[in-house]
Amino acid sequence: MSWRRILLWLLLAVPTALMLRQYASGEALAMHMYHPSGETALRLMLLAMLVGPMTDIFGPNRFLRGWMAIRRNLGVAAFCYGALHLAFYFIDMGALAYVIDELPLPSIWTGWLSFAFMLAAASISTDRAMRRLGRSWKRIQQGVYPAYLLACIHWWLLDRDAGPALVHLAPLLIVWTLRLDLRRIRKHRNREQTA
Amino acid sequence: MNRFSRNSLALAAAASALAFAQPALADGDVTCGAGPQENWEPERAVSRKAWQRGWEVLEVLVQGDCYEVYARNEQGQAIEAFFHPETLELLVMFRRGREIFRKDGFTG
Repeated sequence: MSWRRILLWLLLAVPTALMLRQYASGEALAMHMYHPSGETALRLMLLAMLVGPMTDIFGPNRFLRGWMAIRRNLGVAAFCYGALHLAFYFIDMGALAYVIDELPLPSIWTGWLSFAFMLAAASISTDRAMRRLGRSWKRIQQGVYPAYLLACIHWWLLDRDAGPALVHLAPLLIVWTLRLDLRRIRKHRNREQTA
Repeated sequence: MNRFSRNSLALAAAASALAFAQPALADGDVTCGAGPQENWEPERAVSRKAWQRGWEVLEVLVQGDCYEVYARNEQGQAIEAFFHPETLELLVMFRRGREIFRKDGFTG
């Protein structure tokens, strides 16, 4: 592991340290950690998902290449914050029976399903798994799209307010639209050139 | 300007507007219709009210013009209840975002 990667992970661990300190000091209850841990997970996932479309739109440059190089780390970190979110959930609920009892609620199972998609993607995030799985690697990684959408729905239902979830969805909608548009324009231009 | 179609720019603009219009869209807040805070019952009064229902109170907060209580009910369910701060009446109650109780006629 290079020193840069170590530095990156130290940086990614800072929010965890802050949350654990707040919780351990008794300043906050486990339920107060739902929001910071979940939001950090979603934001890291957003960072991991933005760089691809942005590279397609703006073309590769040094900044985007650097960002792209850490994309998998961002995704795995997002999963780790999802796991932390879940750990606080178990602490808050106190007993497995209570966790199971509220599993059928839409605001809860959407969160679980989102986590399952992220777990699948994170568990094959090594170079070895990437080589071994070939094409299906990408398909499993694409599970982060439903994961992200489900996480937004989870947040919306729990908050009884779509605002924060929409804020986290908007950047993706923007880059996806622009990318789709550029593809169409390029295709059109190619056709004109060959004609 | 020609690189993107007008449609996509409109959609991008709409998406950003949606993102920035967030506070205006916020509808998750409950309005209890209470008067000035000096007429409110103290927080421990609402805690007692919740305790009388058999709840384990985790936190009492002032949310807008309501008392908001995070608690566990007798079945161990995580609940979020809004009380009128003057009458200490239970107005509305949610379980993980799902409304499970609303006082007759309460629309706030």
